[in-house]
Amino acid sequence: MKRYLLLQIVILIVLFSTDFSQAGYRETFEKEFMLSPWSIAKGETSACIQCHTSDDMGPEMHEITRQWKDSWHAKNNISCHDCHGGAPEDASMSMMHQRGFKGSPQDSDIPEFCGSCHIAILDNYLKSGHGKTFCDAAEGPSCVTCHGSHNIQQANMDIINEQLCSQCHTYERAKEMKQALFIVENKLSSVEESLAHLQMLGINVDDQEKSFFRTHLEFRALFHSIDVEAVRVKSSDYTQKLEIIESKIDDSFNKLAYRRNFSAYLFLLFIGLSIVVFLLSKSYEQK
Amino acid sequence: MWGKIKHWVEVRLGLEELINRHLRSYKTPKGANFLNTLGFVALIAFIVQVITGIMLLLYYLPHPDHAFQSVQTITNDIPYGWLFRLIHNIGSNIIIGVIIIHLIHVFLRVSYKRPREVTWISGCIMFFLVLLTSITGQLLPWHQTGFWQTTVTSTIPAFLPVIGEGISSYMRGGEFVTGITLSRYFSFHVVILPVIISVLIGLHVLLIRRQGISTSPSLEPESSKTSSTEFKRENHPEGRPCFPHFSLKRLFMVMIYFAIVFFILTFMPNLFLPPETNIPANPLMTPESIRPAWYFLAPYQLIKIIPNDIMGISLVVIFSAILLLWPFFDAKEGERNILKRPILLSAALIALTLWGIFTVWGMY
Ligand code: HEC
Ligand code: HEC
Ligand code: HEC
Ligand code: HEC
Ligand code: HEC
Ligand code: HEM
Repeated sequence: MKRYLLLQIVILIVLFSTDFSQAGYRETFEKEFMLSPWSIAKGETSACIQCHTSDDMGPEMHEITRQWKDSWHAKNNISCHDCHGGAPEDASMSMMHQRGFKGSPQDSDIPEFCGSCHIAILDNYLKSGHGKTFCDAAEGPSCVTCHGSHNIQQANMDIINEQLCSQCHTYERAKEMKQALFIVENKLSSVEESLAHLQMLGINVDDQEKSFFRTHLEFRALFHSIDVEAVRVKSSDYTQKLEIIESKIDDSFNKLAYRRNFSAYLFLLFIGLSIVVFLLSKSYEQK
Repeated sequence: MWGKIKHWVEVRLGLEELINRHLRSYKTPKGANFLNTLGFVALIAFIVQVITGIMLLLYYLPHPDHAFQSVQTITNDIPYGWLFRLIHNIGSNIIIGVIIIHLIHVFLRVSYKRPREVTWISGCIMFFLVLLTSITGQLLPWHQTGFWQTTVTSTIPAFLPVIGEGISSYMRGGEFVTGITLSRYFSFHVVILPVIISVLIGLHVLLIRRQGISTSPSLEPESSKTSSTEFKRENHPEGRPCFPHFSLKRLFMVMIYFAIVFFILTFMPNLFLPPETNIPANPLMTPESIRPAWYFLAPYQLIKIIPNDIMGISLVVIFSAILLLWPFFDAKEGERNILKRPILLSAALIALTLWGIFTVWGMY
């Protein structure tokens, strides 16, 4: 009798540990659950990167991928094919125009090329002196003049410097712009720092981060109009928006202070209790 | 009123008799000091993990798309959720510290000798299982640290010959750390391991109650050495009643345990939550450094510095096996005072120092 029971248990264990891969349900399970985007490194499987970093490629090609890897786009999962089009999963067809490959943009196409994603900035840029002179006379700066094409980093007013902005006109105009940006940019960077700090302390700042993102996007899009007057006029609007975020940040710091006080109270309570118990224990020891 | 309730309970439970038999007339040896209470502290610490863990379970969601957000909700939106989460997090580290000191203390008192081998082994297994509980818990919040630590820890067994690959892929449920790994770790963390540990705690405590706490060899030299071939319960006629003397010592240490937890919670709440624990797991982005928790630094460093992978992991396995079966390596009847056993003492101290050096080394 006992032996049969044992046998049954063994059979059950064997059944449970066998592979049900034939059963079919497992395949769908794997597709939906296991192979979702969070499970596989899709960046690593890009045929573009694999081929463009292979040994056949010249050093300039390697340099392009290296620059992209350090860029803000790479950190936000914007890969080669997001800009250039093509089929990253299929090495032999990846650079065919039928598969949406756009190639390297002509100089004059660059604003539209970047603007397909950065729409608001493109709008302001096209209306600005820079955009107009670039499109009409191929003289003004394009996106890549100021940002580069593969080594694009997070932007702030440090981009405005004498070397870059005095190529086509005096630095005076650029400097005036920089001064106009100053107040809001300062607040932007302090808010950004506080949000990052709070996040590292485990505070959920998703909502504030969203409105911060919207605010800096709008404000920096405004910069691309290179209209110093407009920037000055709107500055107070943006300061106000940022102050609302700042007050939420203060709330979070207050919440942290409350937690700290609460646990400090518990800490003192247990220190007190331990002293009482210790004295009690000593008094029993003497009895 | 209070008297009436007490009487009501007394008539039905015989509480008075229970306390008298199990606590007042149960004697603890003369030399029982504060370090003897560490096992009890570990028990309380485990109960704290269970209670805070159950509280977390009310809101936690074991799915890759929701786990991180659910833990964020617990710490940010649920009233006092932060308290439970942080106690669970800090407590998981303190409990391991307590167990390690408990183990060292038992070793230095040479208490593992006959008839206490099974007590030692059950304790050791519990230690390993608590470490496993920590490993599995680490993944549950689905943050960068946990995700990548799991990637590393689940790869290490693969170095073992023959069975290694099997262990690794069983841990992960596939080739990568995925939703399957999370489900698997979740069930181990909240059900399987806690239940096994509870059973072992029962065995451990039963053995200790039946055998009595061991004497301190320097204060109370063993009276009759010959009798250890049959069951004998140490009555410690000279000792003190467990209640209230020893119980107060225990209570004191438990208060200290809570004081330490709340000290860390007040002054360094993020001690065990490095910055990357606030970033959701991202399989595309490897953090700059993947460092295991402090209690795994020593074995991790050992595996890292030994160029031969199989050797490194085998050494760790061998050390663990020796620790687990130590009572049988030192089975001879004999001196229980470690001060009179210079070889054992120096071996123990060298092992401890090496562990410390490797831990510090692992931090850099
Ligand atoms: C099998 C290898 C291979 C793969 C895969 C590949 N490329 Fe290329 N790519 C090349 C070579 C070789 C050149 C340079 C020769 C040329 O200009 O046609 C090149 C050139 C380019 C250029 C410059 C073309 C120009 O007009 O100057 C771009 C842009 C580019 N690749 C993007 C991509 C993208 C995006 C992908 C993935 C969707 C990709 N490549 C996949 C081999 C490859
Ligand atoms: C943010 C969009 C963007 C991304 C992402 C991007 N590129 Fe480009 N790429 C450009 C632009 C714009 C140009 C036009 C050249 C210029 O003006 O610098 C270009 C040009 C090129 C060229 C032609 C260079 C030349 O000198 O003619 C190659 C090759 C290329 N990219 C390859 C890649 C590869 C490989 C990747 C992925 C690692 C990549 N690109 C990712 C925007 C991008
Ligand atoms: C496929 C869509 C896409 C294209 C095309 C694209 N970008 Fe981006 N870009 C993004 C995303 C997404 C981000 C990250 C979100 C953010 O921070 O705004 C980003 C970020 C940036 C940033 C940093 C923003 C910040 O927060 O400081 C700059 C600068 C930038 N892009 C410039 C360019 C330029 C210049 C081009 C053309 C060469 C370009 N982008 C093409 C999608 C795109
Ligand atoms: C490739 C050449 C070029 C570069 C580089 C350049 N600019 Fe300009 N910029 C122009 C031209 C051309 C105009 C004149 C447009 C006009 O007359 O309306 C101009 C006009 C301006 C104006 C005045 C717009 C107005 O309506 O009064 C400002 C402000 C300005 N640029 C800022 C900058 C800044 C800041 C930089 C550096 C980040 C910069 N520019 C870099 C070409 C350039
Ligand atoms: C004259 C140089 C110049 C040109 C041309 C230019 N930008 Fe910028 N861009 C800047 C500067 C400077 C900033 C930072 C502005 C600030 O800090 O207020 C910026 C900021 C940005 C940002 C960051 C927005 C944010 O929310 O942080 C993006 C994205 C961007 N530019 C995209 C583009 C695109 C797309 C084009 C082409 C259509 C373009 N830029 C053309 C100088 C330039
Ligand atoms: C031996 C005891 C235990 C140890 C050592 C332990 C350890 C841990 C650790 C290290 C974490 C990650 C903590 C963090 O990053 O915040 C964790 C998370 C978690 N544990 Fe435990 N745990 C134990 C018992 C339990 C029990 C008994 C339960 C439930 C019945 C439980 C439920 C949870 C849950 C739901 C989480 C995820 C939530 C979070 O990360 O905050 N744990 N545990």
